Amino acid sequence: MSISSDQSTVAGQGAEQGWAGEWAAAWNAFWFTPADPLPLAVVRICTGLLLSWSCLVWLLDPDAFFGPQGWLVPHEVWRMNDQPWQWSWYFAASGPNAIRVLAGIALAAAILLTVGLATPAAAVVSLLALVSAANRAPLNTFGLDDTLGLLLVGLAVGPSGARLSLDERFLGRGQGSGQGRGEPSVLANIALRLIQVHLCVVYFFSGGGKLFGASWWEGTALWGAAANVQYRTLDLTWLARHPLVVNALTLVTLFWEVAYAALIWPRLTRRVFLATAVAVHLGIGLAMGMMEFGLAMITANLAFVPAAAWRRWLPLPPVSRPPVSLPSSNRTDLA
Amino acid sequence: MTPSLIPSRAHPASAPAKRPPLPRAIRLPLSLAILIYFAAVIIAPLSGPPPASELSQVILQPFRPLLGAVYLGHGYRFFAPNPGPGHAIRWTITLPNGTTRAGTIPDAAADQPRLLYHRRFMVAEKIAALVPPPFAPAEIRQEARRDWLPLVKGVAANLLRTEGGTRVRLDLVEHYLPGPEEVVAGTAGADLVTPLGTYAVSEGLALPAGSPRAERIKPIAAEATLR
Repeated sequence: MSISSDQSTVAGQGAEQGWAGEWAAAWNAFWFTPADPLPLAVVRICTGLLLSWSCLVWLLDPDAFFGPQGWLVPHEVWRMNDQPWQWSWYFAASGPNAIRVLAGIALAAAILLTVGLATPAAAVVSLLALVSAANRAPLNTFGLDDTLGLLLVGLAVGPSGARLSLDERFLGRGQGSGQGRGEPSVLANIALRLIQVHLCVVYFFSGGGKLFGASWWEGTALWGAAANVQYRTLDLTWLARHPLVVNALTLVTLFWEVAYAALIWPRLTRRVFLATAVAVHLGIGLAMGMMEFGLAMITANLAFVPAAAWRRWLPLPPVSRPPVSLPSSNRTDLA
Repeated sequence: MTPSLIPSRAHPASAPAKRPPLPRAIRLPLSLAILIYFAAVIIAPLSGPPPASELSQVILQPFRPLLGAVYLGHGYRFFAPNPGPGHAIRWTITLPNGTTRAGTIPDAAADQPRLLYHRRFMVAEKIAALVPPPFAPAEIRQEARRDWLPLVKGVAANLLRTEGGTRVRLDLVEHYLPGPEEVVAGTAGADLVTPLGTYAVSEGLALPAGSPRAERIKPIAAEATLR
């Protein structure tokens, strides 16, 4: 494993201490090298927007989702999850007004997270709100909630409000958030790493699960998704006349998902895997009506886009401090 | 110009050695926390859904509080092992005036925006995962009924509350998944319909005030008798 940038010097120390020392140095370099919080801020904004939308939709029918007379009455929730560990603040809400207040707090926290105001508190409350909703309404959750959860853990850990936030604008570079001054930080790196590695775990098990299925090996699985009327928002049944196209799309999806955990890290393959992630998830969103889930997965993939790229894409003021040589997602290069 | 995702190697290998930015006393507990977190993240999909090893079940136990508290206990088997057919719950409600009204969960026309549709769609999908097909052996159906009946009663209670009915009949509809050749030929099979029963509010039950309405919901015609 070759280590780039700052890590080479840290790893060099480990090399003098033998194999175990090399491992320790690689671990330290991977997790504890300061990173620019800019990518985390981009992830925060996208996550906040999706979470705000999700909270609004919960509020369209709060009694059915969280109320004592809803889809799943409180004392039956244990059938769908692992009580008592799966707590929810909605268990304490006995009336419709209390439910709406709690759902409103969730929405307010998500909006604050999006704009980056009181960001650390907003991130923590948003995570608590998401966990509460998901644990109270397990009949109504799906991959969107899983993905928002993994994103919010990272955002709650790191200085996600240090850049592109009202905290930065009104109170200085993240001063009001108590998260440093928008400069490279170890916590920013840890947060991005948490999202990156968790995303690899998601794809690894999702791809591994597909290897059980004959339709994925036969290259017909995408047809099964396209022909499912309950999911369908885009009529792709014309694919019935193009079986080789279905085969190719299925096998590319399978290989991409199975290989993601390994090939997202090398510089040579990262762009291809990120581009495929965008294509796959937008395709799922457009064709199967799960745009929110697709956008959440794309948001998680954004954790792999380095700060340098965001600086080129976004209209940001020039950085007065010496530029960060490498963003967190580029620190470990296995190529 | 397309922004580059590939960084330059800014520091040559001969650069002077740096110490890690955090002291060891901080790195060690942080490392331990990271290891525990990812052990939990990984053990959850390893231990379910089936097939799963007995070892994973053993290792899972101490992580259950963390998995539950932070909502990490996911299997991540999206569209695996195979994309299956879609499900809906078809309902027919009898109103107090004797008329009936019918609908489905989810309802693509009524459940807008799409995320609301999807959240309601999950009700049908998750209940469908517990309901054996009508041609399954009777003892399997009876055993499974213990699992799905409380959930279906909640659905019935919610429908009776929102629609203002006196009784509701529920059927699980598994939409036929046509093969490509059937679509080309313009043919399709029939949907599979599994009766879930008819439910009404049982006013005779002596329950504490404020009890969930679902506790007052009584199946007045079991799914077996409706076949």
